[in-house]
Amino acid sequence: MDSEIGELEEIGQLLLDVGSKLMVSGASTDRVRVTVDRMADALGCDVELFITHRALSMTIKNASGLSSSSILRTPPHAVNYGLVSGISIISWRMVEEKWSVEKIKAELAQLESKPRYPRLLVLSLVALAGASFCRIFGGDGMEMANTFFATFFGLLVLQEARKSRFNPYLCVLFASISASLVSGIGYKLGLSDTMEHAFAASVLFLIPGIPLINALTDMIDGNVLNGWVRGVHAFLTIFMVAVGLLFAMLVYRI
Amino acid sequence: MIPYNAMETAVWCGFAGLGFGVLFNVPPRSLLVIWLLAALGGFTKNILTLAGTDLILASLAGATLIGVLSIFAAHQKHAPPLVFSIPALIPMVPGVFGFRTMLGLIKLSSSVSQEGYSLVLFQCINNGIKTALITLSLAVGASIPMLLTRKTSAKDLKFSLRRK
Repeated sequence: MDSEIGELEEIGQLLLDVGSKLMVSGASTDRVRVTVDRMADALGCDVELFITHRALSMTIKNASGLSSSSILRTPPHAVNYGLVSGISIISWRMVEEKWSVEKIKAELAQLESKPRYPRLLVLSLVALAGASFCRIFGGDGMEMANTFFATFFGLLVLQEARKSRFNPYLCVLFASISASLVSGIGYKLGLSDTMEHAFAASVLFLIPGIPLINALTDMIDGNVLNGWVRGVHAFLTIFMVAVGLLFAMLVYRI
Repeated sequence: MIPYNAMETAVWCGFAGLGFGVLFNVPPRSLLVIWLLAALGGFTKNILTLAGTDLILASLAGATLIGVLSIFAAHQKHAPPLVFSIPALIPMVPGVFGFRTMLGLIKLSSSVSQEGYSLVLFQCINNGIKTALITLSLAVGASIPMLLTRKTSAKDLKFSLRRK
């Protein structure tokens, strides 16, 4: 009896851990629920989940009617689709190959130790994405180069600010100010005639695309409360971006 | 004749999607697909807006294309569809409209003359509604395959398509 409860609690902790990791990595609420349900099914349990942005609450029941409840706070949100994809693959393989709890834990630990992209590559490709946006808006080559350096520098500031554990919205503000200030340098030096396109494109890497899309996805799925939470988070982030841009506009007097 | 402009923009849309894919740490095997999906989605949206379609409907069409193609990509590359669809959708997120809405809101707190105030208010609401509707159409477009087939996982979608 005691060992059975212990086992149930262990499974509960594992599932909560998986759920909270999915939540902070950028999965929609429905996806978290479906994945945790599927894993619980494979382990012969039944779960009821209450998912919010900052904590997950779960009651788990097994075949003999025992139940256990627990709550887990989510770690800081950081988008990581490699983790979402890896957990999805684990959840399907454990169903097909009937994995034990130990095996699942080992696979999860291995998944988390996987290296991310090299920092320089991320910085360069996101900067290239910024330059692409500038081109899409109608900027010329000089403005694209401007945007490239602005985005590169802005993302660098964002990463460093996050490392120093500033408030997430302050991190965005710092990044927005630095990116927009750098994007105006070319114009000030007389290298390009206009700075409008570079200016608007330089902060686009800060636009919270995933929270925005997830907000609407959650609402369509009926998770209206979570949708609103994500929407407000996106709104605050965009507000910080706008404040940073305003600051740069004051500095450059446009 | 396809305008050269739309094709060039599509290429840049691809790179924008790719950059965000790397930022979101997607598995390396999905990068090429993301580039392709972003370019195709951007191309569809641009062609439709050039042909006179409303921006919101054009975004919906581009996002739907990305949503449907991401299901095929998910089966090919063994990753959930959102890994492909969301980075590919990012170039279509109405960042500029959202940005203008925010600037408008800030301006609304400072304008004094009545005519100036009405104009700013009008533009701010217009941009805000555009932002909301385009984002909604992106989310709906990306999840259309799931919504129409009433499945909760792309994996089931594959099986049901095979049985037919």
